[in-house]
Order: sequence, then structure tokens, then C-alpha cells
Amino acid sequence: MEQLLSGYVIYSLSFLLIFISLATILHLQFSLTGIVNFGIVGFWGLGMYSFSILLLKANLPFVPALLLASVITGIVSWALGSIILNLDDQAVLVGTLAFATIIEYLATTEKWITNGVMGFGTVSLPFDIGRLSLFVYSLIILVCLVILMLYANQLKKSPYGRLLLSIKDNEILSQSLGKPTFQHKVIFFTITCAIIGFFGAMSAPLYSFIFPRMIGPGITFTIWIALMLGGRTRLFGGLIGVIATIGLFDYFIETVVPIPTQFAEMVPNVKFALYGLTLILVLMFRPLGILGDKKREAKR
Amino acid sequence: MTLSTFLSSALVLGLLEAAPLVLAAIGFTLIFRLNGFVNVAYSENITLGAYFAVIFNSILGLNFYLAIIPAAFLSGVLSVLTYLIIFRPAFKRGVGKTELIILSVGVSYFIRYGSRLLFGNNLFNFTFESTSYLTVFGIGVTDIQLICIGLVAIISVAIYFFIYKTNYGEKMRALADNEELAMISGINPLKVSILIWFLAGTAGGLAGLFYGAFSFVSSSLGWNLILIVIMVTIVGGIGSIRGALVASACVGIITSAVTLLSNSLYGEIVLLIIFIGILKIRKVRV
Repeated sequence: MEQLLSGYVIYSLSFLLIFISLATILHLQFSLTGIVNFGIVGFWGLGMYSFSILLLKANLPFVPALLLASVITGIVSWALGSIILNLDDQAVLVGTLAFATIIEYLATTEKWITNGVMGFGTVSLPFDIGRLSLFVYSLIILVCLVILMLYANQLKKSPYGRLLLSIKDNEILSQSLGKPTFQHKVIFFTITCAIIGFFGAMSAPLYSFIFPRMIGPGITFTIWIALMLGGRTRLFGGLIGVIATIGLFDYFIETVVPIPTQFAEMVPNVKFALYGLTLILVLMFRPLGILGDKKREAKR
Repeated sequence: MTLSTFLSSALVLGLLEAAPLVLAAIGFTLIFRLNGFVNVAYSENITLGAYFAVIFNSILGLNFYLAIIPAAFLSGVLSVLTYLIIFRPAFKRGVGKTELIILSVGVSYFIRYGSRLLFGNNLFNFTFESTSYLTVFGIGVTDIQLICIGLVAIISVAIYFFIYKTNYGEKMRALADNEELAMISGINPLKVSILIWFLAGTAGGLAGLFYGAFSFVSSSLGWNLILIVIMVTIVGGIGSIRGALVASACVGIITSAVTLLSNSLYGEIVLLIIFIGILKIRKVRV
């Protein structure tokens, strides 16, 4: 049992929890406020990098480094949000995508602090209680996820949630009712991106070694595919989607299904081709995903 | 390095860099103008254009310049197929603009990793009979690069004339501006759309093939370019081929100038920052 609790399974589950959190935040940004964030990995990577730098280069303790990293991500996303959030959806999409690319490139070029493509480490767990350390750490991530889910659920019912929904559905109408929609969008974007940064920082000890290839755009797209598959309008859409994509491929197939070694290097290609196919099929035939209804919300 | 050599290197290298980008931007902007969405799957059109040329050139042993013709044709066909199989049904189902972009990401993933299953993770190089080295303004270039630039210029001018000076081009622009009015005027939307997607695919395939000729062909060739292509299109003005031309040249020159001074990644970072700034200043309705 102890073997199991310190081993690969717990490690994989912790990653799943991190990705479920990201998908849930994306659900809040996209379905509640209509922000098309294609730069998730940028905020996640910013949180992870700034946390690791604060921890290892500035020798800050774990918790202050974690909080400071979230604040840094929040400030950067506030700046980005104030620039692009009053443009239309396609501009927000390419703007956030460009932002994530900038972060990835900066992680590569700023060798003096990130050690470039070589990466740096080691970020270790904040406590050492023997074999159970990893298990306890994953429980902490689980608690964070549950808090996030409860907050999301509460938010949807609250007047503030309805305000955000009104911005998504008809921003001009909402403005004409006297709501400062741009300001609300920026604030909501800042808070949610800071939470993405928080989870980025939390995932640093799981990787323990940080390098720029980890924050490539693949993660953003995987999370989008997961959310679209699970159901973007539902709270548990992200959870179902992440389990059905990352859970199925990265952990179940790679650990349980016996794959002959000569095909092993083809597995990621098959995986991403199937992700693409899934996304096409979902958007064409079941636009609201597994959990959503069959109907499209409204034809424009 | 003196100032004048710096300027001439930046100019020559920048224009070399920009030449295929012009083609990619023209193709991208055609689809953008017609259907009004950011077609991320266009990146795979660029990649596959290069792969098609690899098949004819390196595998079947055809001369590189002859291989261009079937490769360009096949990439046009590929583009039409993605339109007919995926995007047209999606328009009919009323998929929203943002969802269309996500859909095109899906298409892009499917084609890219599907083609990687066929071609493997290898890098390919084109085979040329002989390469001679020349100097232009004191900068060493190969004759292949010069021929490519010449071809890009000819093809761009041809596409420009086709769109602005011929009857078909007028139909295309009519359809892009107002579909219902175009239909009332007796324009067959399906036929014209297929023509636009074919032309766009051809331009994208040619862009990929020339990029491949300058360096090498890999499955992520188009994907690495697409963000710059989107940028150039938006900055140049949607649907404006002249704008795409000027913006591509600027992008090439800025990148090569920054690359000469420091690191090529800084060139891209500077571009992306300028791009976000322009998005804001022009308040673009993308």
C-alpha cells in the first residue's frame, strides 16, 4: 500500500488534478464570461517559472513564493487583459496565444535566470514525511481543486455570476444597463489567471525540473479539447474531459496497455491525431460536449 | 559590423525570410476574407505543400523546380477537401466564429499528427542539382534563394492580378463582401468558394515548399509559422493583399535585424509585442 501511495499512480493522479483545475478555470473564463483564453499555458508557465525562481534563486520559503508567484501572474494578466479584453473574440484568442508564445520564448532566452533550454531544478516538495510526502501533497492539490469547484458553483448562482453571464451573452445590453463590463472582465480575468498561476506553481514540485519545452502550446490545446469534449457549459465538463483525454491516453494506455517498443514512439502521434478528430466530431455533432445537451445554445 | 553592412544584411536577409511569408499570408487572407475566421488548419496546408514536394523531389527524384507544380496542385486539392469535408458542413450547422477556430485547431492536429504517422518524425531536405553562391550587397546568398524570391514575386503578382483584374476575381470579392447579394447576381457560391480555397491552398503549399527549400522540412514547419502568418494578415489589414505584402516584408526585416543584433527568439518576441500593440491601436475587428 505504501508503495502504491508513493509511486507512479499518485504522481499521475496529481497531474490529472492539476489539469482538471485548469480546465475548470477555462470553463469559468469561456462559458461564464466569454473570454477565449488560448494562452493558458502562458499563465501556468509564468506561475511555475516565477515560483521556482523565487524558491531556488531568491531562497524564499514555499508558501510566500507560491503566493508571490500567483500575484505576479495576476499582475501580468491584468496588464494583458487591459490591453486586449475590449477587442473582439478572435483578437483575444490570437493575443493570448501570442502572450503564451512570448512566455515560452522568454523562458528560453533568459538564460541568466532560467538556464535556457537546459532548464533548472530541483524544486522539491515543501515537506518530507517519508514515503507519504507525495500522497499528502496530492491531497493538498485535491483540496485546492475542491475549493475551486465549490467557488465556481457558488459563483454561477450569485448575482456577480449573472452579471458575468450577461457580459458574455450581450455585452452592449449589459453596458447600457450601466455595468462597467470591461472593468469586470479585466478583474475576473486577472483573478482566474492568478489561480492558473497558483496551480502552475503547485505543479512545479511534481516536475521538480523546469524547462521551456514543458510550456509549449500543446497543453493549451489539450485542455481546450478536454473541456470541449466534457461539456463547456457544465461545471464537471472539465473533469470528465480531462479524464477522457489525458487520463485515458497519458496514463491508462501508456501504463496498462502493452505497446510493442517499435510502436512506442508513434503513440503520441496517434494520441494527438485522435484528439484532433475528437474535437472535430464534438464540435460538429455534439457542440456542448458529453455532459451538455444536443442543442446549440442560440443560432446567430 | 558597420552600420551600412548591418542595414544591408538586415534588408537582404529580411526579404529572403519574408518571400515565402508573403505567399502564406496571401492564402490565409483569402480564406479569412471569404469566411471570416482564423483558419489555424491552414498551417497544415503549408506543411503538406512541403511534404508533397519532398515526395516528388527526394523520393521520386523529380527536379525541384518541376516538383513545385504537382506539389502546389495537391496542396490546393487538400485545401478544397478540408473545406468540403469539414468547414462547409460546419458553416451549415451554424458553428460560431470562435468555435470555428477551435474546430480548425482540431483539424490542424488531426492532419499534422496523421501526416507524422505517415512520414515519421524525420526531417527532410530537398535535393538540388548544384548550388552556386552569389553575393548581393555584400551578403552571401544561394542561387536557389534568388530563384525562389523571383518565383514568389511572379506568383504573388499573378494572384494579385487574378483577384483584382479578372472576372473570377470580381466574383470572389463579391461573394466575400455579401453572400446573399452575390447569389442574387447569379454567382454560384460553391464554385467560387472552391476556387478561393484552392487558390489559398496552392499559395500555402508553395510557401511551405520554399521554406523547406531554405532550410528543411519537418511536420511542425507550418505550425511554427502560423502565428506569424495570422499576425501579418491582421496587421496588413484583412483581405488586403498589398497590406500582407508590406507587413510580411516588415516582419522579415525586423526579425533579421533583431536576430543580427542578438538572438532570433528576441526577434519573434519583439514582433509579438508589436503585434499585441497593433491589435490594441487599430481596435481591429478581426
